[in-house]
Amino acid sequence: MRRMDDPNRLEAKGLARAKIRAKRRRVQTIRRRTLRGSLALFAAVWAIVFAQLVSGNDPALSKSFRHAVHRPVAAAEPEPAPEPEEEEFAPEAEPEPAPEPEPEPIVTSAS
Amino acid sequence: MSLAGAVSAGPHVFWITSRAAGTAALALSSLAVCAGLLVGTRGDALKGMGGDVKALHEALSMATLAAIAVHGAALLGDHYLHPSIFDISVPFTGAHRPFWTGIGIVAGWGLAALGLSYYARTAVGQARWRSLHRFTALFWLLGIGHSLGAGTDAGQLWFLAMLAVPAAPAFVLLLRRLGRGYGKTVSPASSSTIDIATAGQASAASRISS
Repeated sequence: MRRMDDPNRLEAKGLARAKIRAKRRRVQTIRRRTLRGSLALFAAVWAIVFAQLVSGNDPALSKSFRHAVHRPVAAAEPEPAPEPEEEEFAPEAEPEPAPEPEPEPIVTSAS
Repeated sequence: MSLAGAVSAGPHVFWITSRAAGTAALALSSLAVCAGLLVGTRGDALKGMGGDVKALHEALSMATLAAIAVHGAALLGDHYLHPSIFDISVPFTGAHRPFWTGIGIVAGWGLAALGLSYYARTAVGQARWRSLHRFTALFWLLGIGHSLGAGTDAGQLWFLAMLAVPAAPAFVLLLRRLGRGYGKTVSPASSSTIDIATAGQASAASRISS
């Protein structure tokens, strides 16, 4: 029967332990890298969509946004004024202020 | 860049986040399916890397589920769509493109159920879990359908590239697997042998460490 402190057995145990530790480390590395990669992917897509939106090229917003932004601009454009039906609706010209009368020369008894 | 078209992204932060998370989920799920199919294949090319690919598959699956959760949850904050929790969690009830959105919700729940069932596979039973897990590919395809049917960026070149690059190899592997027959690559007997061996290794490791 083999003893528990058999050097070969202890060596095998050590090897097994090292293998398991290495495997755990590898799995941890894979998880960490996947997490980082996923976050990087999310950030990259976020940036693309954001850039698309800010530049006005967003596929969904471009239509509704144009409606929202350009409609007031179009509304602000001067429309052809309707013809006045009667002359009385025409705005009356403001009467010019009457020129102030020049002060009369002061006549004194001396002149 | 036209200044006239420039718009503040502030009110759309939730919407941008949802779109980005959805696109990321799509790419990650394609990569996860790819890794999953490689794990199942156990070809010579992966000799000695099976454990790594399995760990990658698990990590990618978890990342996919997290991205799907963000994709749905971020929509709750969107002021334009303003969906309720009911709209984003119950399929075919929302007002916005109900069919395509519904397909996405079904895909999300399916991927979550089948992905998380990995941790309950001893309770479910290895063989049953394995046969159920094959439907993951179906939910992945539903997710792709959802992105093309309801996705805002579906017509954009960058989106199509991001969809195609990871999905193409997954498609090829899936077709290869379907061509061979799903059950032939890893038989339940061999898988249970592997699991027993893994369990034995784990228990030995715990004994060694203690």
